[in-house]
Amino acid sequence: MRALTAIGLALIAGAVPAAAQGPAAANAQGQLSVTIYNGGQALVQDIRQIAFPAGRSRQEFPDVSAQIRPQTVSFAADGTAIVEQNFDYDLLSPNALMQKAVGETVTLLRINPATGVETRERAKVLAVNGGVVLQIGPRIEILRDDGLPVRVIFDKIPPNLRAKPTLSITVDSKGAATRAATLSYLTGGLGWSADYVSLYDEKAGTIDVQGWVTLTNNTGTTFDNARTLLVAGTPSARGLSGYGSSYRSYRPAPQQGELRRAGTETAPREQLGDYYLYPLAERTTIANAQTKQVSFLDVARVPAQKIYEFTLDGFDNMADPKSAASVIRFSSSAQGGLGDALPAGTVRFYQRDLRGDPQFIGESRIDHTPMGSDLGLKTGDAFDVKVKATVVSRERVSDRVWRTSMSYLVTNARPQPVTLDLTQRGLDWYWAETRILKESRKSERLDADGTRWRLDVPANGEVTVTATFETRY
Amino acid sequence: MRRLLPLLLMLGASPAAAQPVVTSAAPDSVSVSAFRDPDRAEGGEIDPDWLQGFALISEQRTIDLPAGESVLRFEGVAEGMVAVSAIVTGLPGGVVQKNRDAALLSSASLLDGSLGNRVHLRRTDRATGKVTEEDAIIRSGPQGAVVLQTAAGFESLRCTGLPETLVYDGVPAGLTAKPTLSVTTRSPDARRVTVTLTYLATGFDWASNYVARVAPDGKTLNLFAWLTVANSNGESFADANLSALAGTLNIETPFEDLAEPPPQPRLDLSCFPTGSGRNGIQPPPPPPPPPAPMAGGYADESSIVVTAQRRQEKLMDVPIAVTAIAQLEDLGDLKLYRVPMPVTVAANGQKQVALLVKDKVPFQTIYRLHDCPRCEPKEQQTEIVLRMENKESGKLGVPLPSGQVAVFERAMGRELLAGEGMMRDHAVGETVNLVIGESGQVLVTADNYYAPGKGGDDYRLTATNANPFAVRIEFGFDVDDMKGLDSRIRKLPRKDGLPTWIVDVPANSARSFDYRARAED
Repeated sequence: MRALTAIGLALIAGAVPAAAQGPAAANAQGQLSVTIYNGGQALVQDIRQIAFPAGRSRQEFPDVSAQIRPQTVSFAADGTAIVEQNFDYDLLSPNALMQKAVGETVTLLRINPATGVETRERAKVLAVNGGVVLQIGPRIEILRDDGLPVRVIFDKIPPNLRAKPTLSITVDSKGAATRAATLSYLTGGLGWSADYVSLYDEKAGTIDVQGWVTLTNNTGTTFDNARTLLVAGTPSARGLSGYGSSYRSYRPAPQQGELRRAGTETAPREQLGDYYLYPLAERTTIANAQTKQVSFLDVARVPAQKIYEFTLDGFDNMADPKSAASVIRFSSSAQGGLGDALPAGTVRFYQRDLRGDPQFIGESRIDHTPMGSDLGLKTGDAFDVKVKATVVSRERVSDRVWRTSMSYLVTNARPQPVTLDLTQRGLDWYWAETRILKESRKSERLDADGTRWRLDVPANGEVTVTATFETRY
Repeated sequence: MRRLLPLLLMLGASPAAAQPVVTSAAPDSVSVSAFRDPDRAEGGEIDPDWLQGFALISEQRTIDLPAGESVLRFEGVAEGMVAVSAIVTGLPGGVVQKNRDAALLSSASLLDGSLGNRVHLRRTDRATGKVTEEDAIIRSGPQGAVVLQTAAGFESLRCTGLPETLVYDGVPAGLTAKPTLSVTTRSPDARRVTVTLTYLATGFDWASNYVARVAPDGKTLNLFAWLTVANSNGESFADANLSALAGTLNIETPFEDLAEPPPQPRLDLSCFPTGSGRNGIQPPPPPPPPPAPMAGGYADESSIVVTAQRRQEKLMDVPIAVTAIAQLEDLGDLKLYRVPMPVTVAANGQKQVALLVKDKVPFQTIYRLHDCPRCEPKEQQTEIVLRMENKESGKLGVPLPSGQVAVFERAMGRELLAGEGMMRDHAVGETVNLVIGESGQVLVTADNYYAPGKGGDDYRLTATNANPFAVRIEFGFDVDDMKGLDSRIRKLPRKDGLPTWIVDVPANSARSFDYRARAED
C-alpha cells in the first residue's frame, strides 16, 4: 500500500512540470546590504551571481522588495551593458488569463453532474465582454450559461502575466559567464526609530538608560541575512511619506520643547554627512512584518532631576486647581550625561515601587538630539503638585491699557519639597507691550511673551505669588 | 514520508534554524498594573466594549537555556502587547536582538507563501462522492487568485462549478498564528534561569466609583469607593499581583497603533465571467466578525457595576463591610493602589475591589451659581454642591482619584439615589466641591432695580428658598472689568477667585443683595 502510494505520487509528480522551487528553496536574493533611514525608506544592495549568456538576454529579479521604487534601480555587472529595464505589473488572474486568451483555443472539460462523466472538447475564445463567447466547431456558446460545471484548461500563460510585479533588465553580455551583478534600489516600508527604556531613581536623582533601535519591515518581503546599517536621518528635503515620517506636523506645538539647549558635542560614531550611522554588529534576517530591536546604548546612573512646570497662556481665572507637569531633566553630554547623540524616538520612563518592581510612569518623544544637549521630558501631570491662578482684579486704565492683578497658589501635597517653574505667557498677545508693574517675587522675563518664576514649594505646603501686569491692546 | 518531508524542508528554510528555539509557554507568576484611559475626561467611566487604557505586565518565567546562541519565544502573553516596550531581564548573556514576528498565517499568506510550489487540488464529485486529488503548482499571487498549473494545462480555481479546494503540504516558514515576541540570546552554558518579561499591553482600563451615603442627620456621609479593573484581552492572568495607577501620564503614540500587526496580504478570489455576463462564482463572504463583547457577557456578571437596584436592597443602615482595601503608595507623581491579595484578572472580565472606606465625613451642602454682574439671570436653578475638606480634620485626608459619585439619602424608610456627579483627581488638602445636581427649589433672579429718576445701573439679586430647611447660597460674580463695580461688590469675599455673595436663606424665605454695575464705556 505504502509503496503504491509512493509510486502514484512519483507518477503524478512526473506529469506536472517541475515546480520552480521546492517549498523551502532559498529565495533568489544574493548578498544583501540594507541601509535604513528614519523616514520609512531604505536602500537595498543585492549582489547576485548570474549566469549571463553571450549577447542579449533578459534577466528577471524575483525577491526584490514588494515596495521597490523601480525608478531608483541601478544595475552593474562586469562585461555587461544595460539595454533596457522593465517593471511589469500585469498580474496573473483567472480573468486576465481569459482576456488574453481571446482568439486562442482552450480545452473545455465538461463534467456531467449526474454521472460524473467527462467530455473533452476544444473551443476558441471569441470575446470576453461580460460573458465568455466561445466557438466550438460550428456552434457559438456562452461559457457556463447553463450553470453546469466546466473546467477551462489553458494551454499556456501569456509571458507578460506575472504572479507579482517583476523587475527585469535586458543586458548585453560579452561572452557567457557567471558574474556578480549588483542590484541596488530604494524601497518604502522599511523604517526605524529609537526606543529608550529609562529607569528613574527619584531618591538618588539618576536615570539608567537603555537605547534600542527598532526597525520595522512592512515591505511584504523578507531580507535574508542582510548586513544592516541604520542612518539617523532622512536625506530628503520634502520629508518622504511613509511609516512614522511626519508625525510632528500633526502635533500641536508643545508648550516647552523637549530639547532645552542644543548640544555642541560630537558623538563617537561614524557619520554620513550630518547623519550618525548605527551599524548592526552582525548579519541579520529582517523578516516580513517583523519589528526588530537591537541595543545601541546602555548607560547607568546618569544624573537627572525632576522639576515641575506649569504654563498659563493668558490671564484666566481658574475655578479648580490644575496639575503641574512633571518633567525629568538630564543631559546627553559626555560629562555628567548620556554621552551620546540620541536618534529620534520614544523615551519610556519607569520607576520602582515600594516592592522594588519597576512601574511605568509615562513616555515622551524626542527628536534627533545632538550630544551635549539638555533635555526636559514630560512624564505626566503630578497628582500632588497643583497650581490655581486667580484674577484678583482687572481694570481698564485707559482706552488701550488694562491692568491685571494675578495671584498664583502653588500647592504641594508631597512629603518632599519640590521645585516648580511657573510661566505666565500671553504677555505679547496682539501688539501688546506688557510690563510687570509689581510682583511679590522676582520673575525672569523669558521673552516678550512670557515670564517665569522658579519656586521652591515646601513639603506639604504652599506658595503664593502675586503680580500686576499692564497690557496695551 | 510525505508528511515528514515538507516539515524538514521548512525547518531548513527557517532563518533561525541554526539556533535552537526555546519556547516559554506561560509565566510562573505575573503582575498587572492597570492605567486609566489617558484621554478620558475626569470622572469618566470605563467603556467595556472598547477599553482604551493599558497595563504594565511583568511576568516571571523559568527557562532552560542551552549553551550558545538560542532563540527564546514567549507565548501566552497578552494579545495587546506593545512589543517595542518589552524588556527582558535575567538572561546571563543578555539580549542580542528582540523580534516581534507578525506575518500571520491566513488563507492569503498560505497561498502567497506557496507561490510556485506544488500543492494538491482536491475535487469531489457531487454525483458519486468520489474524491480525486491531483498535483498543481500555484502560479498567481493572492491578489489575482488563483491560477494553477496542472498536468492538463493552466486552470483557475473555483471557476468551474465543481467543489474543489487546495491542499497544502505544509506551512511556509515564518508564519505565526499570533504576533510573537522572541529574543536571541547567547548563554555561556546550559542552565535554568528565571527571566522577567515586562511589557505594556492595550485592552485594559480602570476607574473608581464612589458611593456616598448621607447620614440621617444630613451632616456627615459615609464614603466608599470601588476600584474597577477591566481586561479585554483573550488572556487571563491567574493569581496576579494587581495594582492600579492614578494620575495622568504622558502618552505619545496610541498603544493600539503599536500593538496592531501590520497590514496582511488579502486573498482576492476572482474568476473570469461565466454565464451571460453574470459574474462567476463570487468570493466567499468574509467570516462574520466575532460577536462584540457585551456588558452582560463578562465573566463575572455579579460584579459588573454597582447598580442602583442592588444598593437599594442592600444599603440599609448597615455599613459596607469589606475584608480587603487596596493599599495606597506613592509612585513618583502617581498614586499606586495595590490589591492586597493575589487575584485572577480574567480574560474579557471586570474585577472590583474596595478602593477606600471613609466614614462620618462632615460635609456642607451649598447652592451655587456663577454669572456676570449685568447678566440678569431669571429664576436660575442653582447647582447643588457637596463640599468636603480632604484633610485629616475633615475625616478624609487621602488622595481621591477621579471617578463617578453616586449619593444616597434616606427617604420614606428607604435609601434613594439623591444625586450623581463626577469627582476629579484630588490631592490631600484640597477642597472637594462635588456637583450632584441642580435645584428647582433654590433659585436666583437678578433685576435691573432702580427708583424712578435714578440711573439704570442699579441691580437687585434675589435668592429664593422653597425648601422647609435653611440653605446656604454662593453667588459668584464673573467679572471682566472691575472698574464699573461699586464697593458693595468689591468688598465681597473671594471664592475660587470670584467676588461671591454668600448668604444663608432660612426655610421658605428669600434674601436679596443690591449693587451697582456701570456699563463699560
